[in-house]
Amino acid sequence: MNFEELLNDLQAREDRARAMGGPDRLARRDAQGVLNARSRIDAFIDSDSWTETGLLAVSSMVPEDHDKTPADGKVAGFAKVDGRMVGLISNDFTTKGGSSSATNMKKIGHVKRVATQRGFPLVFLGESSGARMPDNMGARGMGNNLGHDPGQYVRQRETPWAAAVLGQCYGSSAWYACLADFTVMRRGAVMAVASPGLASMAIGQDIEAEDLGGWKLHSQVSGLVDRVVDTDEEALAEINTFLSYMPSHCNEVPPRAAVPAGSDAGAARIEDILPTDRKRGYDVRKIINCLADLDSFFEFKPKFGRTCVTGLARLDGRTVGFLASNPMGKAGALDVAGCEKATRFTVLCDSFNIPLILLVDTPGFVIGIEGERQKAPGKIMNFMQALQMCTVPKLSVIMRKSYGQAYLNMGGGRNSDDVAAWPTAEISFMDPDYATEIVTWGQPADDARKREIRQQMENDASAYGLAEIFAVQSVIPPSATRRYLIQQLEIHELRPTGGIGQHRMGAWPTTY
Amino acid sequence: MASIEVTSEVIGSVWKIEKAVGDTVAEGDLIMILESMKMEIPVEAPAAGKLSQILVAPEDSVDEDQILCLIEN
Repeated sequence: MNFEELLNDLQAREDRARAMGGPDRLARRDAQGVLNARSRIDAFIDSDSWTETGLLAVSSMVPEDHDKTPADGKVAGFAKVDGRMVGLISNDFTTKGGSSSATNMKKIGHVKRVATQRGFPLVFLGESSGARMPDNMGARGMGNNLGHDPGQYVRQRETPWAAAVLGQCYGSSAWYACLADFTVMRRGAVMAVASPGLASMAIGQDIEAEDLGGWKLHSQVSGLVDRVVDTDEEALAEINTFLSYMPSHCNEVPPRAAVPAGSDAGAARIEDILPTDRKRGYDVRKIINCLADLDSFFEFKPKFGRTCVTGLARLDGRTVGFLASNPMGKAGALDVAGCEKATRFTVLCDSFNIPLILLVDTPGFVIGIEGERQKAPGKIMNFMQALQMCTVPKLSVIMRKSYGQAYLNMGGGRNSDDVAAWPTAEISFMDPDYATEIVTWGQPADDARKREIRQQMENDASAYGLAEIFAVQSVIPPSATRRYLIQQLEIHELRPTGGIGQHRMGAWPTTY
Repeated sequence: MASIEVTSEVIGSVWKIEKAVGDTVAEGDLIMILESMKMEIPVEAPAAGKLSQILVAPEDSVDEDQILCLIEN
């Protein structure tokens, strides 16, 4: 062939690769309002910033699949998002269900290695039927496809990872969703170890997709998903939002944003939100919104572990993480799901140089058989481990109750770098009037037993008891809290390391 | 007219209902108070509108995410 023919041939190959599974399959997705692998990339990245890698990859396992596997079913490459480099894997469900095989796993490995070593985030747009058949069958199939990368599933949080569950996600799309720091799921998508079809065959009973791995399961029961959306576009926007709080890699401080006008006005409203009656609950998100820069609060797992609220926000333009007791959830008593959520969030903040702000209003832990069956004491200790291994600044504000071991889990004493209390704070091992009822909730306990429990309790629970022995550093009015937090953040900047923590939890398991 | 579902944040029971069907509510107005784990949990209007239906009565048990009432705006 002459040079012109060579170039035309190259162009034709590229065009075929970009056509994915063909116009019919793409049109069907379009009709359902679902984006495809390449339109997801276009919707997500800065325009003209896409550099693809492995466009001409095809199946290396099955000769008949040579012309049926454009880009081998997973689109991979590098792009800019809000001007910053990211690595991107976008599954092409129109090509063999986006299934995994030797060539496309090499592509994922490459993008992952480059992002990790060159210091930028990795984004997985998940939609995959799992391991490709028949490629992975038999000893040769297994040996050729799997196990080449001894570090394939090691997560050390060198750079932030974000994942979207955008359709059926089995196998690699599910694994990466679990390994990510932020996972968003579209309603109607399914994530599980294996498909409902396979699961039904295995147990001989029909299994519904939503029961196996739908959005309610993952956002409310398993807690594997951080946020739920209705469309692909919303999922991509949420990943973009997540990334805006994060550094590009763990040896960088998060980007500092401008402070929206009016951000200082919220603090004065706290005193209207906080009920005067200590039995009255309130939504702690309202308090977070009063303290944080205007509209900067981005909540993680709102319907999982509702006893606490976790999320990223900004204070004076700096990214912070809020971990707050929520009296709306089990009166703020920490349960197993709450501990898991708090632990995971603490690890995220510590790994990416994000100061942690704890807002405390908890009567203690939920106790009872259900918690014990879920390893409650172990989960409480996991939470303590994470908190005590943190090397980012930790600031704690005792708003109302702080009781017992939970006083420590929420940053009491030297579990924070600075602790302040509001005049409404109550600190003791156990609250006589109140926590007796809460901590025996769900258990049989007669009046005599309850009186006995009360008699063991301390009398003076006011914040001044702690202030006078320097067990809190100050007592402040709620309206002064935003200013207090901003001052403390400036005092506790990690100057000797340019704001970078020691990342002692970079390899903390992503689920446990 | 759009119908907004006001849902429970908690597992608990209905303690007091402060509004009636047909009442106009502003965003943040207290509609009812639930009880959960000996705590009084306020249920506030997420948006302004007219309370078109109240689906629970005092002493009813409620579940997380259960629809308590509907607001039309």
